[in-house]
Amino acid sequence: MSTLTVPHIVKGERIEGDAQDYGKFATPQLNLTDLVWQRPAPGPAFDVPLAEIIDILVALGEWLKRDPDGVMAQACTASKRSNPLPEGVIDRSYATLGHLFDRASMEFQVEQELGGADVLDGWRTLNTPSGRSVSLRAFPPRLVHIVAGNAPGVSAMTIIRGALTKGVHLLKLPSNDLFTATAILTGLSAVAPGHGLARSFSAAYWRGGDKTVESMLFRPQFFDKLVAWGGDATIRSAKEYIGPGFELVAFDPKTSISMIGNAAFADEATLASVAEAAAMDATVMDQQACTSSRFQFVEGSIDQVDRFCALLQEKMGVERMTASACGNPLTGAIRDEIDALRDLDPDYRVFGGFEGRGCVVRSDDPVDFHPDGRVVNVVRVAQLADAIRYVTVATQTVGVFPHSAQVAFRDTLAAAGTQRVVALGSAVNVEAGLSHDGFYPLQRFVRWVNDED
Amino acid sequence: MVDHRRELLDLIVSPDAFGQSAEDLAPLQLAAAQQVFEQQHSAIPILARRADEAGITNIASLHDLVPLLLAHTAYKSYPTAFVEKNRWDRMNHWLSTVSTPDFADVDVSGVENADQWIARLGDHGHLVLATSGTSGKCSFLNASRHDRALKERHFKHVLGWPETIPANDREVFWLGPIEGPNSAIEAGIISRDVWARPGGFHALITEPLRISDVSQMAAFTKRMAEGSATPEEIAAFQNEAQAKGKAMRTALAAYTDTLLAHRHEPIILSGLWAQMLQIIERARELGVPDGDFHPQTRVNAGGGIKGVTLPDDYKEQVARFFGDVQRPGAYGMTEMAQMLPRCEAGHYHRAPGLILLLLDESGERLINADDGLVEGRFAFLDLLYEGRWGGLISGDKVMVDFAPNCACGRPGPVILDTITRFAASGDDHIGCAGTIDSYVRGVVGA
Repeated sequence: MSTLTVPHIVKGERIEGDAQDYGKFATPQLNLTDLVWQRPAPGPAFDVPLAEIIDILVALGEWLKRDPDGVMAQACTASKRSNPLPEGVIDRSYATLGHLFDRASMEFQVEQELGGADVLDGWRTLNTPSGRSVSLRAFPPRLVHIVAGNAPGVSAMTIIRGALTKGVHLLKLPSNDLFTATAILTGLSAVAPGHGLARSFSAAYWRGGDKTVESMLFRPQFFDKLVAWGGDATIRSAKEYIGPGFELVAFDPKTSISMIGNAAFADEATLASVAEAAAMDATVMDQQACTSSRFQFVEGSIDQVDRFCALLQEKMGVERMTASACGNPLTGAIRDEIDALRDLDPDYRVFGGFEGRGCVVRSDDPVDFHPDGRVVNVVRVAQLADAIRYVTVATQTVGVFPHSAQVAFRDTLAAAGTQRVVALGSAVNVEAGLSHDGFYPLQRFVRWVNDED
Repeated sequence: MVDHRRELLDLIVSPDAFGQSAEDLAPLQLAAAQQVFEQQHSAIPILARRADEAGITNIASLHDLVPLLLAHTAYKSYPTAFVEKNRWDRMNHWLSTVSTPDFADVDVSGVENADQWIARLGDHGHLVLATSGTSGKCSFLNASRHDRALKERHFKHVLGWPETIPANDREVFWLGPIEGPNSAIEAGIISRDVWARPGGFHALITEPLRISDVSQMAAFTKRMAEGSATPEEIAAFQNEAQAKGKAMRTALAAYTDTLLAHRHEPIILSGLWAQMLQIIERARELGVPDGDFHPQTRVNAGGGIKGVTLPDDYKEQVARFFGDVQRPGAYGMTEMAQMLPRCEAGHYHRAPGLILLLLDESGERLINADDGLVEGRFAFLDLLYEGRWGGLISGDKVMVDFAPNCACGRPGPVILDTITRFAASGDDHIGCAGTIDSYVRGVVGA
C-alpha cells in the first residue's frame, strides 16, 4: 500500500507534498512562519459582518453535500485508511457534515452563546450600575486548536465556531483524523476564493508534543488560547506553554452513562423501547464518542436486569445513522478482561461475543476496565440513586429513564460533576448553541474587550 | 512418546545450552509446543476458549500459537470488587480460569487480604507471584512447585552466563526486600540460593513486601479519582510515602558501609539505578576512589527510572565508579521463567525451552524470519510452566536479529539491546472519550 500523503491548508491555500515522512503517512514541509498571523495586523476576517460569514458557511454546507470536486469523497477514502472507526461510520459521518452548517443552527449559536451578532460585528453599549456607559465587543481571537479525531464532526464544529468568532485559527490535525479539516477548508476556499474568512484558517500536522514546532508556535505573541481536545497525553507538552497571555480552553475526555429505573420493566413493550434507547446511546459513533454510554445502571432483580441485557445486546447490532450494525472485532486486553468475566457466573454474566456487534457485561460493581468498542457494562443497582456515587467530573452525559427520574436526579448529578442530563436515547442529539462540557465555547473562544468612558 | 519439552528444558544444564542452531531447535520446539498445548488446553479455561474461538486443535506451526497468546493483563482480569469485598472464594474461581489447577478445594475461610490468600494457596502447593504494578491493580500468576524448581535451575545457569556458573561462594548484596510473593523478590531469593556463601547474603530490606499494602494504595487512588478522599488524606498519604523514601535512604547509607568493606572481593550486587547513585555518594564521603572493586564483581543495575529524577549521565557515573567489573544483563519479565541472558556482543539469547515469537505491532501476525533484522512486538511461549499457560504477548518493541549467528559466535536468533515499550512511541490519536484517570491527578506522588 502506498504511503498516504496528507495535504495542509495554509491561510486558505491547499498545500500538497510529502517532504515530511511520519512512517504511515507524509505531509508537506512545515513552514512555521506561514502558520502564524502577525499580531499588529488584524486578522483577515475581523471586520467581515457575521451575516456574510454565515452566508459563506451555508454555501460551504451545500458544497460539502454536493462535493462537486470529489474532495470530500477523496478525504473520506483516505480517512478509512488512517482512522480506526469502522468504514460505515466514516461514510455516514461524512454524509452528515454538510448539515452541521445550518443557518438556523448557527444563528442560534450566536444568539444563545453571545446574545446576538451585534457584539461580534461591533460594540455593544451598556450602562453600568455606577452610571458609566461602556462598550463591549466579543473580539475575534487568535486560536490554535488541537482537534480530536474520534469523530469527523469535531473538525466541522471547530471550523464553524472559529468562523463565527471571526478570529484566526490554526488547527493541529490528529493522526486519527488527518483529512477532514483540510477537506472542509478546501471547500471554504472553493466557495469563497481569497476571502478573508478562508485566509483565517490553517490546518497542519506535526507530531503532538514536537518541541521544535510547539515551542515556536505556542506563544502569546502569536496566539491567545490553545483549544485542546483530549486528555493529559494530548496537552502534557502543551501545558508547559500555558501561562499569562496564552490560556487553555479544554474539552476534556469524558465518559457517559445511563440510569434506568425499574419502571423499564413495567411491560414487554416498555422494556423493548428502553433497551432500544439504551442501545442507541451506547453505539453513538460506534462508541468512540464522549457522549456514548458505557456504563448503564439498571434498577432491578438479576432476572430483570439479565432480560434487559439480552435485549440491549440484540439491539446494539442494528445499523443506525451514527452506528454500524457491526463494528470492528474486539482485540487485545479488553477480550482478556471480558473472557475472564465469562467464567465468573453468577457474579458476572456476558452477553454477546467479540465480533463487534455488541457485548454486554452484567455485574454488581462497575468493571475495572473502560468499556469500549461497543461494550456496555450493565451495573445492577438496588435503587437508582446508588448509581450517583460512580458519577465524577469526567461524566459528561447521563441518559435517564424514566423522565421523572431525570428531573429528580439532575441536581444531584450536576453536583457530582455531570454536564448533561438527557432522556435515555437522546445522547446523540448534541446540538450547537447549548453548553458543551459545562461551558459555552463561543464565549470562551472570543476575547471580551471593553471600551469604557 | 518422546518428551520434547523436557528435552529442551534440560538442555539448559549443558555447557552448550546456547549453542543450538535455530534450525535444529525449530522442530523440537514445535513438537514441545504441541505437547504443552495438549496437556493444558482442557485444563485452563482461558486457553480452551482462545483455542475454540480461533479453531485451533493442534500446533502445526508457530502461527497457530499467535491467537493463543495472552496479554499480561489476563493475569489481573479479576474484578477489583472481589478483593475489596474479601471474596477470596471468587478469587480462587477467577485464578482457576487462568491456571492449570482448579483451586476450588483451597479453603479460604479466615483469609482477609491478598497476602493471606497467597499464603493459603502456597500451603496447597500453588506458588502465586503478584506484581505490584504502578496502576495499583496486582497481577496474580500461578506456578507449581516443579515450575519453581525448574526456574531456579534456569537462573542458576544464566545468572553468571557467559562468564561463570554460581557456586555459593560469594557475598551477595541485594538492594530490595527478600520476602514476599513477587518475581523480583523471587529473583533475589534464587540469587541468594545460588550465589551466596553461608551467611554471605545481605538484603537491604528485611521486612516482607505486602501485597495488601499495594491494594490499599489502589483503593486510595480510586477514592481520589472518585473525589471522596479529602485534601488532608491525600497530603498524609503523600507524606507517608516521602517518609518511607527517607527511611530507605538512611538505611542504604548504613548498608553501603558493609558493602564497601567487601569491595575487594568478587561480590554480587543488584539494585536500582537510583540506589547505585546513592551508594556512589556515600562512597565519595568515605573517600573510596573510582574503580576500586574486584574485577570479578558482578553489578546488576536496572529498573526504577520511572518517576525518579536521575542525572543525564547516570549510566556513565555508575560505570566509572565500579570500573572494570562484570556488568551482566538479562531480559525478562514476571510472566517469564526463562529469562534471556546477554552475551559478550550485548545481545540477548533465548534458552532452547523458550519459543521466541516476533509479532507485528498489532500483535496479530507472526513476523519471525529466517534471516535479517526485524522489529516488532515481543511474544513468547515459555515451555517451562505447567501451572499456567506460558504463552504471552508483551508490550515490548524489540529488534530481533534472525541471522544464523550472533556476533558472539553462538547461533541466533538474538534480541538487540534496544528494547522499548510500544505505548511510548504511539501515534497522537486524540479523542474526546476517556476516563477521569486520563486527566485528573488520581495518582499519589511518592
